[in-house]
Amino acid sequence: MPAPPSSRERLLEAAYACVARDGLAKTSMEDVAAEAKLSRATVYRQFPQGRDQLVREVIAWESGRFFERLARAVAHHVELPELLEEALVFAHRAVAEHAVLQKILETEPERLLPVLTTESGRLLALVKQFLVLAMTRTEVRAGLDADAAADYLARMVLSHVGAPGRWDLTDPVQVRELVRTQFLGGILPR
Amino acid sequence: MATRTPDIGSDDSASADADTRLIDAALVCIARWGVTKTTLDDVARQAGCSRATVYRAFPGGKDALFLAVAASEIERLARAVGRAVYDAADLEHAVVAAITTTARALDDHDAFRYLMAHEPGVILSHLAFAELDALLVVAAARTGPSFARFLGSNVEAQRLAEWATRIVISHTCSPSSGVHLADDASVRRLVRAFVLPGLLVAT
Repeated sequence: MPAPPSSRERLLEAAYACVARDGLAKTSMEDVAAEAKLSRATVYRQFPQGRDQLVREVIAWESGRFFERLARAVAHHVELPELLEEALVFAHRAVAEHAVLQKILETEPERLLPVLTTESGRLLALVKQFLVLAMTRTEVRAGLDADAAADYLARMVLSHVGAPGRWDLTDPVQVRELVRTQFLGGILPR
Repeated sequence: MATRTPDIGSDDSASADADTRLIDAALVCIARWGVTKTTLDDVARQAGCSRATVYRAFPGGKDALFLAVAASEIERLARAVGRAVYDAADLEHAVVAAITTTARALDDHDAFRYLMAHEPGVILSHLAFAELDALLVVAAARTGPSFARFLGSNVEAQRLAEWATRIVISHTCSPSSGVHLADDASVRRLVRAFVLPGLLVAT
């Protein structure tokens, strides 16, 4: 049996449920305590800086879960190009279909975006770690600095997932071209 | 951009001068107090004009003035990047110059620095999702053409401009220990390793 969730995990889950229902501004420490069926004191013990910390951490928590789902969805690909192509398509669709994210982008972007951007360092580290591992399974260019390459690739992935720009990430031909040129041009063997 | 009510008695260039004076004054105020605390009175005082003049130039008030400030600073940056790319001898120098010029302009920009340190949300909320898409469109449209002479294709040039913009924005939001965008050698390493080979595959 899996271990029961810690009170921190229960609180983050409860906070996410509150945010999904009421939005970021209207979610209070009291609401989260009630949703988690824990005391207010427990909420304050876990998040001593109060509501702002809780909101920041719930956004980071859900972003982390988003990239875990993404990692699981692409884990079966051994080759880096296919892995990145599927990652872009999956993530683009998952962002578009993420009901809570889309609702908050519509109603309270000014509360969400600064947190997402300041948390992007943490996300970047997550994606980078995953890519370092993926690169050990694929043939890369001789003499490649794997750490610099993973850092570069992780930035490209995050940037395009958030804003595809001129690329249509629902079109497999364009996704393939983007990955083979801008993403992997310097990473795959010549 | 701000819309202006017809300004009887003054020609367009005079009102453009007035706009520039107000935008410069707003930048001084932002560098001192940030966006939230700056009032139109502060801007008027800094520009040496009346509050009514500010409202005549920017009927939308503070929001309209600050949008005009952002547009004007993006335009100023795009011109600097365009000049740097124009002076470059080859594609590698052009890409490196575009990135380092942008990074140095942001490092030297008092208002930008103040906001990133004290009110990061003001800047960062424009660097994700739909807002980032909009900024990428502007960056590609404004700086893309200067890359065209190295690439022979406008599509490739716009793609490269967007690509370079993404690199700058990513490192601005999450600085890396290994890459320093204001440093020529560091950017040259990045461009040689990951950008130029990608362009070669494409062309």
